[in-house]
Amino acid sequence: MEAPPVTVMPVTGGTINMMEYLLQGSVLDQALDSLLHRLRGLCDNMEPETFTDHELVYLLKGQQGNPFILRARRSLSHPTAPWHLRYLGQPEVGDKSRHALVRNCVDVATSHSLPEFLNEMGFRMDHEFVANGHIFRKGAMKVVVTKLSRILVPGNTENIERLSLSYLVELSVLAPAGQDTVSEDMRSFAEQLKPLVHLEKIDPSKQRH
Amino acid sequence: MGRVPGALQQTVDLLHKKLEQLGALKQQGNFSVDCETYHATATASGQPSKLLYVMHNSETPLSCMALFEGGPCLVADANFDVLMIKLKSHFQNAKGHKVECRGWKYRYSDFSIKVGTVTMNSSARGISAEVEYCPCVVPGDCWNLMKEFMQSFLGSNVPELPSVFTVKPEGLFAPSDCIDTMTQYLELFNKLRKLQMPGSNIRV
Amino acid sequence: QPLKYKYDSIYKWTWTYNRSPQVLQLISKKRSLSTAAAVLLRGAEKLSKSVAENMENRRQRDFNSELLRLRSQWKLRKVGDKILGDLSYRSAGSLFPHHGTFEVIKNTDIDLDKKVPEDYCPLNVQIPSDLEGSAYIKVSIQKQAPDIGDLGTISLFRRQPKSKAGAQPWHVKLEAAQNVLLCKEIFAQLSREAVQIKSQIPHIVVKNQIISQPFPGLQLSISLCHSSGEKKSQRAAPEKPKADDHLYVLEHNLHQMIREFHKQQLSSVLMPHPATAPFGHKRLRLAGPQAYTKAQISSVQQGQGLLEKIIKQAKHIFLRSRTARTIDSLASRIEDPQIQAHWSNINDVYESSVKVLITSQGYEQICKSIQLQLNIGVEQIRVVHRDGRVVTLSHQEQELQDFLLSQMSQHQVHAVQQLAKVMGWHVLSFSNHVGLGSIESVGNASAVTVASPNGDYAISVRNGPESGCKVLVQFPRNQSKELQKGDVVLDSKWSHLRGPYREVHWSKMEGRNFVYKMELLMAALTPAP
Repeated sequence: MEAPPVTVMPVTGGTINMMEYLLQGSVLDQALDSLLHRLRGLCDNMEPETFTDHELVYLLKGQQGNPFILRARRSLSHPTAPWHLRYLGQPEVGDKSRHALVRNCVDVATSHSLPEFLNEMGFRMDHEFVANGHIFRKGAMKVVVTKLSRILVPGNTENIERLSLSYLVELSVLAPAGQDTVSEDMRSFAEQLKPLVHLEKIDPSKQRH
Repeated sequence: MGRVPGALQQTVDLLHKKLEQLGALKQQGNFSVDCETYHATATASGQPSKLLYVMHNSETPLSCMALFEGGPCLVADANFDVLMIKLKSHFQNAKGHKVECRGWKYRYSDFSIKVGTVTMNSSARGISAEVEYCPCVVPGDCWNLMKEFMQSFLGSNVPELPSVFTVKPEGLFAPSDCIDTMTQYLELFNKLRKLQMPGSNIRV
Repeated sequence: QPLKYKYDSIYKWTWTYNRSPQVLQLISKKRSLSTAAAVLLRGAEKLSKSVAENMENRRQRDFNSELLRLRSQWKLRKVGDKILGDLSYRSAGSLFPHHGTFEVIKNTDIDLDKKVPEDYCPLNVQIPSDLEGSAYIKVSIQKQAPDIGDLGTISLFRRQPKSKAGAQPWHVKLEAAQNVLLCKEIFAQLSREAVQIKSQIPHIVVKNQIISQPFPGLQLSISLCHSSGEKKSQRAAPEKPKADDHLYVLEHNLHQMIREFHKQQLSSVLMPHPATAPFGHKRLRLAGPQAYTKAQISSVQQGQGLLEKIIKQAKHIFLRSRTARTIDSLASRIEDPQIQAHWSNINDVYESSVKVLITSQGYEQICKSIQLQLNIGVEQIRVVHRDGRVVTLSHQEQELQDFLLSQMSQHQVHAVQQLAKVMGWHVLSFSNHVGLGSIESVGNASAVTVASPNGDYAISVRNGPESGCKVLVQFPRNQSKELQKGDVVLDSKWSHLRGPYREVHWSKMEGRNFVYKMELLMAALTPAP
């Protein structure tokens, strides 16, 4: 069974009700350079930042309903950084005119004993993958261009195989619930990236198999 | 904090007085350690559900410690509590089992002493005394010094070396961290929970 | 006469014939002229049209080339049919809420036929009204007490109104506006800190001025001076800053500090690893999982603000000036011994050092025992002796003065000791701090006793910072008239022992300084072989 919806929760403090606003798109490998170039110009003036992460997706099967999903992610390029545990709720089915996908989000930074701990809690790893790419920032907006790779031997992050010939582009903002101007800003930013990449609201529930 | 029985309060005051006689200085502010218990709702197999303890320490205000007794532990930031709320349906919070320990802090040169009253369900159940030797993180190096110091104000109630240090694979010479401290608090809380009568128990 | 008639009639006929061709000619001439004129007019029209087009193109080209030049130095973007630009420091990381937007205006309405004015530019910029004019930050350090005057007033970020040759007017205007914006940001940051920071003497923020007191009696005031519009008639030359170059360092530091702050915002330390983690300082993200204690958390979060840094700097400048003044006044007041100060060339904004030597003129090689290294910090002066002893003095100038006076007094006695070695005299006793005699109000008296090479004479010197020096000479018994030969001591050899003391009228001694006098005295008491 899923967690209670956000609207039922008491509004006490921002951390309980953080929402993630998300727009996604993809570019082919050949178009990557021009996209990076454009992003470099549009986003905040920082040194380009690359990342290599390893994500494990855990499921906890309850008695009824859908399993509870938690995502545990660690950085392979910065091994001393803490693990990042993430819970993403169901997308809010507010008004259809909202431009970005909005869902409740809980981010927890944890120590390195996370996988064993999750196992002890009853979670089982469903799948894992390696992601590498670039991060850009514009104010509160984060643009992540990722190449996803499959792990061939469980636990071995060296032996990986690319999943596709394209890069996933995600534009996201973490903001407290109730801020509607965020999706407007995201949309205008996404406009500036056309026609290199079309960022749009993709509902994950429509893609469940 | 609820009603504190007279005997407990007397012991706490006595300890405070002994510390002040030694020359320890009372620090500003209180300290508090609390522990919440969660148990997994019906699991697939018929095993008894494990208990998950989530503890907070005012000395590390931005952290949350999650422990399985005798099992893996996790140190996370404060959002872990929010995550536990989301996991309500899988892990139930045993509200009646919340334990809190509050008290004053003293500082004696390199030692930091915290004497607190342990309360469960607003009834005081015992006293905890935490002694920390600040310059050292390796228990093996300073255990004797700490024992001697504790004797000076606890008299004959000095405990033995806590088991949390002896069960480690590296033994006494691994650096200790906040998890060890929390484990000891947890042992104390569980011990007090089992006691029917309020009594005093010392932990290091 | 029919021939005459004939002629007459012919003549008449031809006359009439001559008259009508003129009219015809006139008409035809008129017609041909008008055709020609029409051709010329048509040509002229075409020509003037093409000239006008050329002029327009040229103006447009000028505008475009000017726009290109503008774009190479400033950020521009097109919004609708307007061209807007950004002169704020936001792309460098500033969080100041001013929008800093300027508009580019085409200025191509002039007639290129007429004389083009000197400062014509096809492009003009419209800056926000609150950034017009010029601004600077005035920092002044004033002291009420008379011992050291005002440390001066300095204007920071003040740009000269005249532009260097070749600079476009829009560039000058934009730079001036950006300067105003920077001054506003710095001042806003300073006033915010002035209100938030708790200090012993609270800072006062009044409109455009921040007043604080780093030391009691010392007033530091920072004010934002913004003069909008052009007031060229007012004092054209900026007030001459005093030859105090310390405060120029302050401007550089202020600039550096605010840019440092900007850089922080753009630092890659804020980027999350792994990529899905929220933005935030890397070390703060570690605080949860690594169970940081309160002390560790506050050490990550705290940074010294701009105002604190400036106040520290002002304190140091003040302390340094005062130290220099103290040393100089002592040097001019007291001739013997001499005090020399060697200031180090390379200093820190919060720390300077000076080497103080106390010497006697003519005897520098012999008497060099007092060498002090003064490290002037923000609130204290640390003095390191030659032998390694460390003394910490507060910012009170009296402490330093008293200390130096006592060192000078000790120097005299040390000098006697060194001189004795050179002259062959033996040192019988020496004490830096004598416990006998009258109490000095400053420091302690020192004393030394030396004996002549053959032991006949001894000189005792007691020197105090306040009491001055007292020199006594011990004569052998056989030279003193007071002692009578007694009956007990019969052997004549005992009369060679030293006996009573007699004081020397030191002020009447010949010699330009103490050590010289002492040398003469020793020489006089050393009999020639």
